Amino acid sequence: MSSSISSSESDSGWGRSLLACLGTLIGAAVLALALMVVVDPYDSGKLGLLGINGVNSRLTQITAASRARDPNFNAAILGNSTAQMIEPAELSRAAGLRFVQLYTTGSAPREQLAVLDFFLRHHKQVGALVIAADPGWCVHARPKEEGAPFPYWLYDRSVVTYAMRLISWQAIEQAFQRLGIGLGKRQRMNPDGFVSYEDIWPPGRFKEINAPRDPAPAISTEMRAVFPEISALQDVVRSLPPDVAIVIVVPPTFAPTVPKHGTEAALERRACDAALKAVTEGRLRSNFINYRIDNALTRDRDNFADFIHYRPVLARKIEQGIAASLRDGESAKTDF
Amino acid sequence: MLFNDYPFLLVFLPAALLIYRLVDPFPHLRIGVQVALSLAFYGWGSPSFILLLIASIAVNWFASVVYGRVKWKTVLTLVVLLDLGVLALFKYANFILANLGHVFEATLPTLDIGLPLGISFFTFHHIMYLVDLKRGKAPLYTLDRYALYIAFFPQAIAGPLARWSEVMHQFGRQVYVPGWQRQFCIATCFIALGLFQKVVIADSIAHLLDPIYTQAARGPLGSGDAWLAFCFSFQILFDFSGYSDIAIGLGLLYGVQLPYNFNAPLRSTNIQDFWQRWHITLMLFLRDYVFYPLVNLRFLPRRWLPVQFFGAMLITMALCGLWHGASWTFVLWGVVHGLAQIACSLWRRYGPHFPSWLGWALTVLFVLATGVIFRAGSVEAAWHVFAGLTQPLPLARGPHLWPLIVAPLFAFLLPASQDIVAFFTRRPNPFLAGILGLGLFALLLHMGGRDLHEFVYFKF
Repeated sequence: MSSSISSSESDSGWGRSLLACLGTLIGAAVLALALMVVVDPYDSGKLGLLGINGVNSRLTQITAASRARDPNFNAAILGNSTAQMIEPAELSRAAGLRFVQLYTTGSAPREQLAVLDFFLRHHKQVGALVIAADPGWCVHARPKEEGAPFPYWLYDRSVVTYAMRLISWQAIEQAFQRLGIGLGKRQRMNPDGFVSYEDIWPPGRFKEINAPRDPAPAISTEMRAVFPEISALQDVVRSLPPDVAIVIVVPPTFAPTVPKHGTEAALERRACDAALKAVTEGRLRSNFINYRIDNALTRDRDNFADFIHYRPVLARKIEQGIAASLRDGESAKTDF
Repeated sequence: MLFNDYPFLLVFLPAALLIYRLVDPFPHLRIGVQVALSLAFYGWGSPSFILLLIASIAVNWFASVVYGRVKWKTVLTLVVLLDLGVLALFKYANFILANLGHVFEATLPTLDIGLPLGISFFTFHHIMYLVDLKRGKAPLYTLDRYALYIAFFPQAIAGPLARWSEVMHQFGRQVYVPGWQRQFCIATCFIALGLFQKVVIADSIAHLLDPIYTQAARGPLGSGDAWLAFCFSFQILFDFSGYSDIAIGLGLLYGVQLPYNFNAPLRSTNIQDFWQRWHITLMLFLRDYVFYPLVNLRFLPRRWLPVQFFGAMLITMALCGLWHGASWTFVLWGVVHGLAQIACSLWRRYGPHFPSWLGWALTVLFVLATGVIFRAGSVEAAWHVFAGLTQPLPLARGPHLWPLIVAPLFAFLLPASQDIVAFFTRRPNPFLAGILGLGLFALLLHMGGRDLHEFVYFKF
């Protein structure tokens, strides 16, 4: 009898322990999810009852969502860090549009297309798109994704896909940062997204790193004209109203990395340029500008932080070229 | 589906527990439902090979039934050979073709076939049962019970390699009987401990080491990275020990106590001790189904028996290496461990006494060094790691190296997982259980922000 009582007491003790464990686990998860629903840690627009605007983070892969859905903008700059130095305020002033910087550090074209799709879903009226096409656009076959995974779930249409990713330390950290913004204890980051990389790569220094990642040459002549990333962009552009201006720029790189005339690499580059140019052809106020050329500006080390990241001097030239294109289309004078 | 992934932890596992709770009062449904859940688990992770698993179960079970009727041992021998043939086809065909190509100086075609998830493990489960049936040690079982033995989802993909005699009688038992709450608390501890080992320790080490081994495959290492690569054995220890603990915890949730697979192996004081504590169930399999049969073969005169004994040891360890993967580096790894066991065996018999601390230090160094061969993928890449050890330690990387400080401390100082769990579950403690719940939530948060790393042993 006593053994039965003791066993039953013991069972109830274990039962309470199990309840305590699962209760704490489920309770903590429910609290965290409630916080996420109220705050929307990445300002994706999918959740959020408090109406806090903006984010405070330098992780561009996740902060681009907040900017891409900001109704105060009607034009966007897309690319990776090779688009970072293009100032949206300068373009806005010159073109009479409201530009937002949507660059995502280290991103591949398909990731930039995910951001573009998100931007287009949140803007019925788009004035212009500027795309900085680095060599990643010139691949002949989509590479297997490597490195840090891109948060496609943030740019996805599904709330469930998004919500499944909110149980993470990063989401909790972002949620508290957003709460800080809502309470006025933190500044949201620049709404147009411009951040100069010169605060980490100060002027006057050139590092011999980040060589342009030109893709492997095509295995056949037919393959040379196949650019799956550009085709995907072409499909998006075709779906846009005809009055949406598209300017594609090939960012400058340090002159010794520009493919030499007559080489296989130059042929590849020319084929890619032709495919990119075809995306803008026939559109109003649209243009393709190749800044990856060998000239006095790109030969000067002072104009670069490394092989692919250019300094403000070149960025201003590029902005002028984009502004001229948005005004005059293919006949624009792009002094470089 | 991975044990360390949300779809499993947040969808499959709760659903499977709920379903099993509903059928638990009905004895005739329990095994069938567990088989269905296990096949669903396997099908989710490897849909293209689910038919292979089902066919494998059907053929082996049918052979056992035929043997039960006609007592013709050749049937079992043929089916074991068929199992090994299927394993060879999927796992070793390209390796064999490549080597034949080298021998005949010809370019032979390669087969474009994937490796079915868990094939090494379910093949060994078949072999354990059929060989014991042939030896007259195992009874016949019904199809559903046999199917559960092979496909039981906590162990199907990467073990532990449970003997039929350890688990068959546990299948189909009622789970929700007095005391089930204690079992569930123990199970939760195992799962939490396993997840911690996998997602916090092993994956953090993988994050450091993967790029270094990629570089080692291309050329020499710089900046003292070789010292980090040298620590790979800690990664695989916590990766596989973590997996095994999760599997044991999951088994308990369905009323099945799976065998333990690790027993603090890096506290071993010699290499023989190490192999009794590392991947225990594989070593017991190799001992009983490879080593003993080789030793008991009468093909050398009696005075040469020690040679046969050590030869069997070497062959067993070489096969252990080959089982891990179709590559000569795995064979080399196995042979080196076999030689070390022979040396250890001879030393213990004829050599002077070793202080245990020295034995421990040598064992750890040996395991770490051979771990480099295991991970590198080629002798050349392994050499790049060893050559890089002449550089100073990469201390400048400071706090980023925390996994490689924490992992050795845990491996050297803590007892085995089962002892840790036993310590914390001596009596019920709701406060500690609440902390465990918070710990599990923290692990879920940790998993949510990182890319998934497959368990290393899923490749084997």
